[in-house]
Amino acid sequence: MTETITREVFQNFPAWLVVLFYVVSFTSIGIFLHGFSRRFRKYFRGRRVDRFDDLPKRILNAVRDVGRHSSIRKSDPYAGFAHFLVFWGFIILMIGTALVALDYDVLRIVKPDWQFLNGAFYLWYSLILDIFGVLFIIGLLMMIVRRRTFKLRKLDYARVDGSKDKYDRSQYAVDDKILLTLFLLIAVSGFLIEGVRIAATRPSFEVWSVVGWQVANLFDLSGISPSSLHVYVWWFHSVLVVLFIAYIPYSKAMHMLTDFANLLFTDDLTARRLPKIAEGTPTGYAALKDFTWKELLDLDACTKCGRCHVACPAMNSGAPLSPRDLILDLREYADKQARTQMWFHQKLLGENGEAQVIAGEVIKQDVLWSCTSCRACVEQCPVGIEHVSTIVQMRRHLVNEGAMDDGLQDALVKLSKYGNSFGKSDRLRAKWTDGLTFKIKDARKDPVEYLWFVGDYASFNPRIQELSRSVARVLTSAGVDFGLMYEEERNSGNDVRRVGEEGLFEMLVESNVKTMGKCHFKEVFTTDPHTLNTLRHEYPEYGASYTVSHYTALLARLLDEGKLTPKRKLGHTVTFHDPCYLGRYNGGYEAPRKVLRALGCDVHDMPRCRENSFCCGAGGGRIWMKDENYKERPSENRIREALGLKVARYFVVCCPKDVTMYEDAVKTSGNEGNIVVKDIIELVEEALGEEESLSTPSLLEEPI
Amino acid sequence: MKILVPMKQVPDLVEELEIDSSGKRLNRDFLKFKLNEFDEHALEEALLLKEQHGGEVVVVTLDMAEADNLLFTAIAKGADKIFKIPGNCDEGIDCHSAAQMFATAAKSIGFDLILTGVQAADDRDGQVGMLLAAFLGLPHVSVVTGLSLEGASAIVHKEYAGGVMAEFEVVLPAVFGIQAARHTPRYAPVSKVRQAWKTSKIETVDGGTVPASNGSVVNRMFKPESGKRAELIEGSPDDVAGKIVDLLKSRGLL
Repeated sequence: MTETITREVFQNFPAWLVVLFYVVSFTSIGIFLHGFSRRFRKYFRGRRVDRFDDLPKRILNAVRDVGRHSSIRKSDPYAGFAHFLVFWGFIILMIGTALVALDYDVLRIVKPDWQFLNGAFYLWYSLILDIFGVLFIIGLLMMIVRRRTFKLRKLDYARVDGSKDKYDRSQYAVDDKILLTLFLLIAVSGFLIEGVRIAATRPSFEVWSVVGWQVANLFDLSGISPSSLHVYVWWFHSVLVVLFIAYIPYSKAMHMLTDFANLLFTDDLTARRLPKIAEGTPTGYAALKDFTWKELLDLDACTKCGRCHVACPAMNSGAPLSPRDLILDLREYADKQARTQMWFHQKLLGENGEAQVIAGEVIKQDVLWSCTSCRACVEQCPVGIEHVSTIVQMRRHLVNEGAMDDGLQDALVKLSKYGNSFGKSDRLRAKWTDGLTFKIKDARKDPVEYLWFVGDYASFNPRIQELSRSVARVLTSAGVDFGLMYEEERNSGNDVRRVGEEGLFEMLVESNVKTMGKCHFKEVFTTDPHTLNTLRHEYPEYGASYTVSHYTALLARLLDEGKLTPKRKLGHTVTFHDPCYLGRYNGGYEAPRKVLRALGCDVHDMPRCRENSFCCGAGGGRIWMKDENYKERPSENRIREALGLKVARYFVVCCPKDVTMYEDAVKTSGNEGNIVVKDIIELVEEALGEEESLSTPSLLEEPI
Repeated sequence: MKILVPMKQVPDLVEELEIDSSGKRLNRDFLKFKLNEFDEHALEEALLLKEQHGGEVVVVTLDMAEADNLLFTAIAKGADKIFKIPGNCDEGIDCHSAAQMFATAAKSIGFDLILTGVQAADDRDGQVGMLLAAFLGLPHVSVVTGLSLEGASAIVHKEYAGGVMAEFEVVLPAVFGIQAARHTPRYAPVSKVRQAWKTSKIETVDGGTVPASNGSVVNRMFKPESGKRAELIEGSPDDVAGKIVDLLKSRGLL
């Protein structure tokens, strides 16, 4: 006798039970749709922003990212792998379930000839679903083990803003447990049903259900009658599934939907190019209505994975900002306003629930001002959340209200009056060139190949002026044709924009664009990564589209082309600090390392390097603000990391602000003599043999 | 409550100051100007009073250098009306003349209270407020560091040397010279200033005529001269330390 290769749906079920199943299923789908549509309406109410450009490419990228889990695996391979198993297990099991529904609930009724869950297809179906079911369970167990035993700092939901008694976040952990437990029970009970079913009738083709067959064997061994159990196990499994579906839009399970969408609509240039002031929000973000739908989606996309939290230089230095908490606080607030609160949410204790103004109340001022705009959070986020631009939008409101630190206010006043943060006359901008034996061309008068956008620190800070002169000497010796804008250069505005002073940014840009328009040059270079970023990514929107390079790229090219020839190998053991705005922002990881190797330096990377580089703490206008919120300044933390290598004699940087920040940090942390901060140009000049005296660290000889 | 804040500009020290050939005044060819810092505090205090009690803040200034920008910045900070007294003051103006012009302007603008900066960094004689009060025949308190309104009078705190404070009750209208506002003067976002340039209007108010020679006369202006007795000790840190010790011993101080 030949067996029919298929399985019967609702085997041995009385009609009323079948009806009950459909009633329960549709109820749960109804609850799901209710929650989902409320969330969707919340996004729909957000301000408009165009994220539908190049949709096919966006879809392709998002599908590829999610399929490969590249962003999830990136900084946490264990979690990435576990999630990969759970994700693909879930997808395949969901497709499997959908196929049953299609076959039984649709085709059986409308076109029975087309039913396909039988024969060879059914055998493959059984095999594949069983395999992915096991992978699903393995992934879940890995996650449970990780949460229970790894004691990861990133999974600690404790707040960093010193308000422990004002919030209760214990429910976040409940949500985590519920989802994992629910999945695990659904998967295990699925196998139990299969085992019970197979044990009852033992159709020989069911060996293809590799796991179910073994479960059936276990039932045989245990002596329990499978047919009596079937209905209970079936209902247990079904009720859990139905609960899960209803639970999705009210819990962290919602991330399955929001995160794909968030990756789909994310902006590749986020933080690199900040949004202009939009119509309707002339003064930055004060209320929820100012948020774009993508920014509202960002809030729901957060899975509390905590990667931004542990990468953030503010959080690591004892400042009250944690990008994770900022996003979660905004989510809680947005959900409360839209009445879409998650079932398990943060509880506010005391009078903390009255906040109305987003910038300053919901998110406190000192939290917003703690951001260095280093972009570590954006880099780390596996789901495309754009923290930095949201923070800047809120800062714009603070600036408009004048709610800022005195040091910052002073810098902004100077910048608006003099075009530089040092409050110096523009006539002194090129005074640093006085110490040179040659005159640098004036690009406003003489055509040059390269326009050197010098920047404030390199122009006015006495220590950095030395380095600017080094750059000038080295480039001249290599025969590079370059010129300056002299007194007409203004601060590029990169940090001014990140502070949230958009009006001042525009004023500076207009002035620079006008001057650059008068100059004759082919390309632009700068030693300042911050300047590099805004010239490269933001100035084009204001009519200045040029090829902009960092001096490290220029140096690497000159060494490559043989225009710079080191006279000797330096043989120094060094570590290199990737400046945020060169590395993470602009991908300039290789050029400085190439230069160092060409000079004969032995480069040892710190644990946090390249895209994981740790900010010096100066970005986003922080250099103008007081350091009072820190337990340990980010720059000191970084020096400690470099000393931890135990081999690096030089701490090499290639950003003017880094020189001041780290030379300071070496002193304040009492490490003079243990490590010496060097700008890369100092090593270049040393290798060229033009200034030998620079090779000996002079810090110790200076009186303190 | 209508609070009038007369403001003036002073030479900006960002540029090197030069004395002109007469030896009595600054060379004004390359001089840059900025708002007198104390006037900024007077405006801040006026804005704080307005936020507390309502009313309006009116700013008046002399026609020179960056007067327009100064006025539009005041609007950006929250001032309600801005006035400029015509008559080119680019060549500088002494405090008697300034006070006279402000007094004439104040009469035609109208006010309940006038707040000036306690002094300005140009002539440093701190008299504009006092003279203004005198010309208007009003009570005056100078070096004010605290100010509150109670009905038709003001309670003001005046700071004396040695940290001693005095409290006055002054019937309004009156003129106060503000030493420091309660808060750091607020920031004027550039976008608001630019908006003010586009949407606000500067009104003009007559300052009357002032005598050509008025107030104090400068006989000689000069840069601080280094004393003849100063002796520069040079050498390595050890040498310098040794010389200092010798010096102290020779003077009988050790």
